[in-house]
Amino acid sequence: MTDNDTILSLRGIAKTFGEKVALKRVDLDVRRGEVHVICGENGAGKSTLMNILAGIHQPSAGEIVLNGEPVRIPDPIAASAHGIGMVHQHFTLVPSMTVAENLFLGRQPRRLGLFSDRAAMVDRARELSLRYNFGLDPNAPVGQLSVGQRQRVEILKALAFDAKLLILDEPTAVLTPPEVDELLQVIDGLRARGRTILFITHKLREVKSVSDRVTVIRHGESISTHRTADVSEADIARDMVGRDVFLVGRKGDGAARSFGAPVLKLDRVSMTNSHGRLLLDAISFDVRAGEVMGIAGVDGNGQTELSEAIAGLMAIQGGAIELCGRDVTRASVAERQEAGLGFIPEDRLDRGLGVTMSVAENVAATNYSRAGILRHGFVDRGRLDAFAASKIKEFDVRGAQASTPVGWLSGGNMQKVVIARELERDPALLVVCQPTRGLDIGASEFVHERILAAADRGHAVLLISSELSEIFALSDRIGVMYSGRLMRVLDRAVADEATVGTLMNGGEAVAA
Amino acid sequence: MNEAARSFLRAIGAPLGAIALTMALGFLLVASITDEPVQAYRDLLFANFDSLGNFALFLNRATPLTLIALGVIFSFRAGVFNVGGEGQLYAGAIAATVVGVFFADLPAVILLPLAVAAGIAAGAFLGWIPGVLKVRLAVDEVVTTLMLNTIVLLFTSYLVNQVIRDTSAYGAVSRMVAKSIWLPPMPGVPGATSGFLVAVVLALVTWVVLFRTEWGAQLRAAGINLRFANAVGVPANRRIISAMLVAGGLAGLAGALYVLGIGHRFEQNFSPAYGLVGLTCALLARIHPIGALATALFYAMMLNGAAYMQISTDVPRSLVNLLTGLLVLLMTARLRKSGLRG
Ligand SMILES: Nc1ncnc2c1ncn2[C@@H]1O[C@H](COP(=O)(O)OP(=O)(O)O)[C@@H](O)[C@H]1O
Ligand SMILES: [Mg+2]
Repeated sequence: MTDNDTILSLRGIAKTFGEKVALKRVDLDVRRGEVHVICGENGAGKSTLMNILAGIHQPSAGEIVLNGEPVRIPDPIAASAHGIGMVHQHFTLVPSMTVAENLFLGRQPRRLGLFSDRAAMVDRARELSLRYNFGLDPNAPVGQLSVGQRQRVEILKALAFDAKLLILDEPTAVLTPPEVDELLQVIDGLRARGRTILFITHKLREVKSVSDRVTVIRHGESISTHRTADVSEADIARDMVGRDVFLVGRKGDGAARSFGAPVLKLDRVSMTNSHGRLLLDAISFDVRAGEVMGIAGVDGNGQTELSEAIAGLMAIQGGAIELCGRDVTRASVAERQEAGLGFIPEDRLDRGLGVTMSVAENVAATNYSRAGILRHGFVDRGRLDAFAASKIKEFDVRGAQASTPVGWLSGGNMQKVVIARELERDPALLVVCQPTRGLDIGASEFVHERILAAADRGHAVLLISSELSEIFALSDRIGVMYSGRLMRVLDRAVADEATVGTLMNGGEAVAA
Repeated sequence: MNEAARSFLRAIGAPLGAIALTMALGFLLVASITDEPVQAYRDLLFANFDSLGNFALFLNRATPLTLIALGVIFSFRAGVFNVGGEGQLYAGAIAATVVGVFFADLPAVILLPLAVAAGIAAGAFLGWIPGVLKVRLAVDEVVTTLMLNTIVLLFTSYLVNQVIRDTSAYGAVSRMVAKSIWLPPMPGVPGATSGFLVAVVLALVTWVVLFRTEWGAQLRAAGINLRFANAVGVPANRRIISAMLVAGGLAGLAGALYVLGIGHRFEQNFSPAYGLVGLTCALLARIHPIGALATALFYAMMLNGAAYMQISTDVPRSLVNLLTGLLVLLMTARLRKSGLRG
């Protein structure tokens, strides 16, 4: 079994943290020189498995066979001695140091065995960057690099150790679509140079485009390994979730949809921060009843500010906002809710939920009188719990009871609590930001269905997402934001990924 | 219901365990100091119940502790780290005294509510200042409440020495408030202030307000996550200021009730750091009003019991500081552990 082709095999790897079983039983064979994707929903155990390979965790059971020899990997230093390098989900760079310093942190080339040899270090860094065509300036402080560049520093760091087996843990989670494409090219290049790559992701498009083989992990068990060419995205999704998955969307129907009157009107909305920098630059658009208006853009180009301006959480310095015919430019959050605003913020833990409060209190937060929870002005515990229970059922919030602290739930179930709360008011306008960020396929599917159902019931939906596939799947019109400006609004019928991608990077679109 | 019972047991199991462990360690300590550890420990724990008189003193101790702890709970639940209980207490006591001394001619039906209201208002005002400064100017409330403590203590010292001093008495004490507004003792326990009943009722009211009203839910939301509270349309700043008004008002009421029910005048040294101990009671009760009633009673028992123990044996009363310190340590260690679980 461990012939020359197999660089790594795992046999029956298990891992428990206290009572929590993170990995039940994982078998995996990785061939020399292949790109092998490990794919699975959030919490499936992917990071835990990779951390075992990187020497960060010790397996509770099972065997690791590397180059035909059973090995133990007691710590990260042993891992790199075995030629295993890992790029973690969360970066481990020092922002104030330069690229070269980060690359050789703790193992600088020495002169006379004592003094660090800066010149040699910078030269080696430059040479490495050139060899892999990474285009990194060795003297640039890491803090000034873009996320994609930082990631390349991380990869280079692993390569500088001469890693034969490179592990990338969800490297694309933090990247913009063009950066993802660049990374996929980098990975191609590394494969061409004979490196073996373990690539972790739960995005199906990436699986198909980059990998030779794919192994699916579900609930801590390896479910299947296939040649990527032999399986479809739907096959992989089914293995990940354990049932058939319907990738919802408007895309197929093609039927001309009719919309009502504008529910939200923005007229030259502008916002500056305290340093005078323009965050929103005269943004104007309408969202009509029954319509999903998508706002695409790379994170940090004003989408957060736009959503908070509409929700009444950040003040604007110019322009006007009209909601259901009412001027709400200066209205409080509560007044906007009264006028018909529903708001699903981009960060559930930060804005969306009081994590230590119960599911019941979170879902009731804006709905005490509306949902008849009060009796003689006091909260009726029975009614509160009944209301929560009905929402838990309706929105399929798993693992939750009314009194469960909402922070104990998984990301997807937390998001369902937010959505349940905001939809309870039957808002004329639903502002939805990054609704599936960090969610697995099953939960994303559910969230998308709810958004489309809301639009079908005649709500106006403003969908803000940096996930292009989401924008394209759900939107009737697509606006693109770049650097605080709304570059263009395209009809779904004429929009394509290339045009939108160009606009997202500030380029003028050639096509209409 | 079974689930609720189990979670209740778990909630009180930890504090009870910490108390038991503290007591066990304390016993070893006492045994190393004195030949009669059993006697010492009996006095510490049970002398409070030896006579009706001792029992009355015990309730009198528990009254201000409970009220201050309730105030602390309001402010902490709203996310304000209010350590100004002592200042708010003194402000309430001096305000009630001034009214009770200078308007002694008014009929009791007017003067009593007036004195109580003055105490509440003075404490509330002291709570309002750090609340507004925090909300409007982001001034740290720990600094402002601590500074206000000092200011109020010095200011009351000035008033009691220079303005309303009882020159016929020793020490820095004011003239007596009108006898017509002295609170009646608790029925059946002569010497115990009926203010204790007020404290018990207010503990229940606090629980209802915090956990059974929308206002309370909003206040707690503001305390748990301000950005979340804003996003769901809670007027968070208003709730925070209100919480501080209530917190100060409760501590002020503690001062007023002390004057009207126990001291009958303002004494500069009437508080053995009630503010700090009340804060500790609230924290040990995990900022839960009903729990705070229990911890306040426990602290009152320990504080008074230590005095009895010192009289009858050669164990110094400062042992109780050591024990309570140990208890805080064990309880917070426990808090950290449960915090990690969440
Ligand atoms: N250090 C740890 N202690 C306890 N549980 C952990 C720890 N690390 C991971 N887990 C749990 O193990 C499971 C798998 O986690 P992880 O490997 O991070 O999943 P993935 O990377 O596939 O999203 C999760 O349920 C997670 O909560
Ligand atoms: Mg992971």
